[in-house]
Amino acid sequence: MKNKLSKFFTPKRILLAVVFFCVVLTATSFFTDKLITPLRNVFSYIVVPIQNGINSIGSGLTDDDNKKKTLEELQTQNKELESQVASLKAENDALKSDADELSDLRNFYGMESQLSSYTKVGARVIGTTSTNWNQSFTIDQGSKKGIKVDMNVITDKGLVGIVTEVYDSYSVVTTIVADNSNVAAMDERTKDQCIVEGDITLMDSGIIKLSRIKSNAGIKSGDKIVTSNISSKYLPGLLVGYVKDITSDDSGLSKSGNLVPAADFDHLTDVVVITTTKDQLTNG
Amino acid sequence: MKRKFSEIGLIFGFYILQVTLFNYIRIGGIAPNLLIILPVFFGLLKGKKEGMFVGIFSGFIYDIFFSGLLGFTMLIYTVIGYICGMFFNQYEESNFIIPLFLTAAGTFSYGFLSFVVQFLLHNRIIADFFIIRIIMPEVVYTVIVALIIYKPIRLLNNILDKKKSKAVNIDEEIKK
Repeated sequence: MKNKLSKFFTPKRILLAVVFFCVVLTATSFFTDKLITPLRNVFSYIVVPIQNGINSIGSGLTDDDNKKKTLEELQTQNKELESQVASLKAENDALKSDADELSDLRNFYGMESQLSSYTKVGARVIGTTSTNWNQSFTIDQGSKKGIKVDMNVITDKGLVGIVTEVYDSYSVVTTIVADNSNVAAMDERTKDQCIVEGDITLMDSGIIKLSRIKSNAGIKSGDKIVTSNISSKYLPGLLVGYVKDITSDDSGLSKSGNLVPAADFDHLTDVVVITTTKDQLTNG
Repeated sequence: MKRKFSEIGLIFGFYILQVTLFNYIRIGGIAPNLLIILPVFFGLLKGKKEGMFVGIFSGFIYDIFFSGLLGFTMLIYTVIGYICGMFFNQYEESNFIIPLFLTAAGTFSYGFLSFVVQFLLHNRIIADFFIIRIIMPEVVYTVIVALIIYKPIRLLNNILDKKKSKAVNIDEEIKK
């Protein structure tokens, strides 16, 4: 019986069966997420802890702060830090009352809430799902910690990207330098609208494109570009980068240019996920 | 069965390596593609069925973890495993030109097909940039890695074969 079976399943037939199966699988996963998500969840329970472990070994080896200090040194450092904390506390109290007044004024004028009032979650970059040609990374927070698709991801330097896939214990963030990324943005100074596009052909130069600028816009080199308030996915006012140059398009009807992103994409270790989504802001 | 399990173990091990260590040794942002080497080598060393089996699993692992359409990489790696299996028993095992050539061809095909699906079909026609800046370096880097691990994989293959042939011998003895 076994011989008959193995004679029936010639390599060619197996190949055809597998090819057919894969095509069906690909087509299904193209149209719906429901197949992949549970599979990735199951596998992530095995693999993410291993990844975390190896990453922490790696960062432990390269950790510069592993200096041995004597007890005395630590005590003097502690005293200095305590007095710093005291003066910072006083500053903070003064700033808090300013912030309250500012928020009152904003409410009075009907303006949108500011970055500091968004709820945020810190996350660590645990790996890349990048192949050599898509630019995305995984973070160690998932749906269990309340992460949802379309949440914006930033570092202290600027906008990094947006959450595109969420699993139980990890999420995938697509960066703004990815080829298919488009961010509706504006010049902070002139309020002119533009689009920030990722472009894989610029991956070596560290710049990304600015496009769809009106020909009468006053955007200049060096200007700050922030996320626009008309973006459907990005919260307003997040720093994207600084204009490098602007040129008129051949048609003369619009301008385009290049942008230096503010975040450092080559050294991403810790990021902040803003758990308020643009959707919540506009509809909530 | 032991053979199949050790192959799956190898695939998992390569995946972990790929996603941790090999991220840090990117040259110009390009990392070698470890998981494509396995179907090529096992196809060459053991034939079409083994090549396809390894291709199915490494493609599956690749698809699960590197975002993309589930089944795409599985399909291509299986076919690569099958094609390399067609070269089984056609050459001397110690000759490593054929495995390296097939690794290069396989990596190039996979890269090009990925480009077609991810970019060309979205009207991003940047073929020359892609081939020069991304696919060719990946091919070169992957071939270098393949060169380094060819002998260890052959040794592993021989060890697994010895275990298999030992079991077969015992069966024959009992029949007698």
